[in-house]
Amino acid sequence: METFRILIVDDEDDFREAIMKRLRARKMEVAGANSGPKALEMLAEQEFDVVVLDVKMPGMDGIETLRAIKQKKPLVEVIMLTGHASVESGIQGMQLGAFDYVMKPVALDDLMDKLRQAYERRMLQLEYGRKNL
Amino acid sequence: MTDNPPPEPDQQCWPGLWQHVAVYGSTWLVLGLAIMLAVQVSLLLGLVAAMAAGLTWLTVQRLLRQKAVADQAKCLVDEQLLQSQKLAALGQLSAGLAHEINNPLAIIRQEAEWLLFLCRQSDPLDMTEAANGLRQILQQVDRSREITTNLLNFARRQQPVVQAVNLNRLVADMVRLVAKEVEQRRITVVSQLAPELPVINSDGPLLRQVILNLLNNAIQAIGQDGTITVATEALAPDQLTVQIRDTGCGIPPEHLARIFDPFFTTKGQGQGTGLGLSICHGIIERLGGTITVTSEVGKGSTFTVKLPITLTPKEI
Repeated sequence: METFRILIVDDEDDFREAIMKRLRARKMEVAGANSGPKALEMLAEQEFDVVVLDVKMPGMDGIETLRAIKQKKPLVEVIMLTGHASVESGIQGMQLGAFDYVMKPVALDDLMDKLRQAYERRMLQLEYGRKNL
Repeated sequence: MTDNPPPEPDQQCWPGLWQHVAVYGSTWLVLGLAIMLAVQVSLLLGLVAAMAAGLTWLTVQRLLRQKAVADQAKCLVDEQLLQSQKLAALGQLSAGLAHEINNPLAIIRQEAEWLLFLCRQSDPLDMTEAANGLRQILQQVDRSREITTNLLNFARRQQPVVQAVNLNRLVADMVRLVAKEVEQRRITVVSQLAPELPVINSDGPLLRQVILNLLNNAIQAIGQDGTITVATEALAPDQLTVQIRDTGCGIPPEHLARIFDPFFTTKGQGQGTGLGLSICHGIIERLGGTITVTSEVGKGSTFTVKLPITLTPKEI
């Protein structure tokens, strides 16, 4: 399977570390950030293909972070991770260009599926961009 | 021997004829006249027929010409109608936009004037009051920004990214996202997802946006207690449908025609920009599909999205 670069953004350390470990076991290149500003900082420094972003975080929340990511790196795909179903944040997130919404707790296979689709989308868009330069 | 003169040869040779003429002459005359008359009449009739045919042909030609002119005029009127509808939509769009932006602007102005007044009056400045004012201003700026972002999203004809999409799974995911909200409102969601639906080539994130919007509308239309039915179906070999039915308040007929217009909303101020359905409409069109609505006031509404199984990306 193709390796791609994933950034996990979640303020819960246990959750973040666990999911990073399991994705690494699947040969993914994974990094973690515990807040929105930290994630933006890391995105400015290095390239990521897909960001997994927790909706509910103290300070800068997931929606605000998503908005900032899409402004700076529109082709980075973002999968929103949410603990509780919220229609409003769902609509907002999708409108801001999130790839998908995943409800916690998530089966790793399901998340992996969505990560792959998000990555494929990014590749398609990069390719399309190259063709139309 | 008699000296009777020999009979006149004519009389001798043609006695029958003369007799015949004498007896039947008038009949023949009448017959002849009748024949001539008939010939004349038929000639006349023929002439009349020919003239009639000519006239008919001319009339048909004229009618055709008139029809062509009328068609042209109709086309022109249709075009003008479309144009005026477009202009009306544009007018509505600008009016809606102005309205949406002017409200937060009014609040911002109020707060700024109040702050200015505080600065001049109270000595020392009431910091709590000032902070409240500034917070309000920030909120309103955010609100305006949301509106312009929405508008840009609406206007931006971004290229759909075509990927394999499992429509049933996508719909189920979005139903899960509204699960808590519907539970709180005692709304039942019935999923009628067709088994073994073919995978379609479409844009997943855009479709999610549409389905989520339609689900949210259904929830809003019901308020409390009701049923939302979500159904997928393979209508034709090359087409799938998603249907979202609610048992909500329904849409009055006079609103139905404008329901997909940008900024058309029946919600109160600040509760919706009226862009949701127009965004859905724009997305589905870009995905090569159609979105339609049927509704009955007091009974509920049904939104039907038809999607092609394969979307070939159009070159911009």
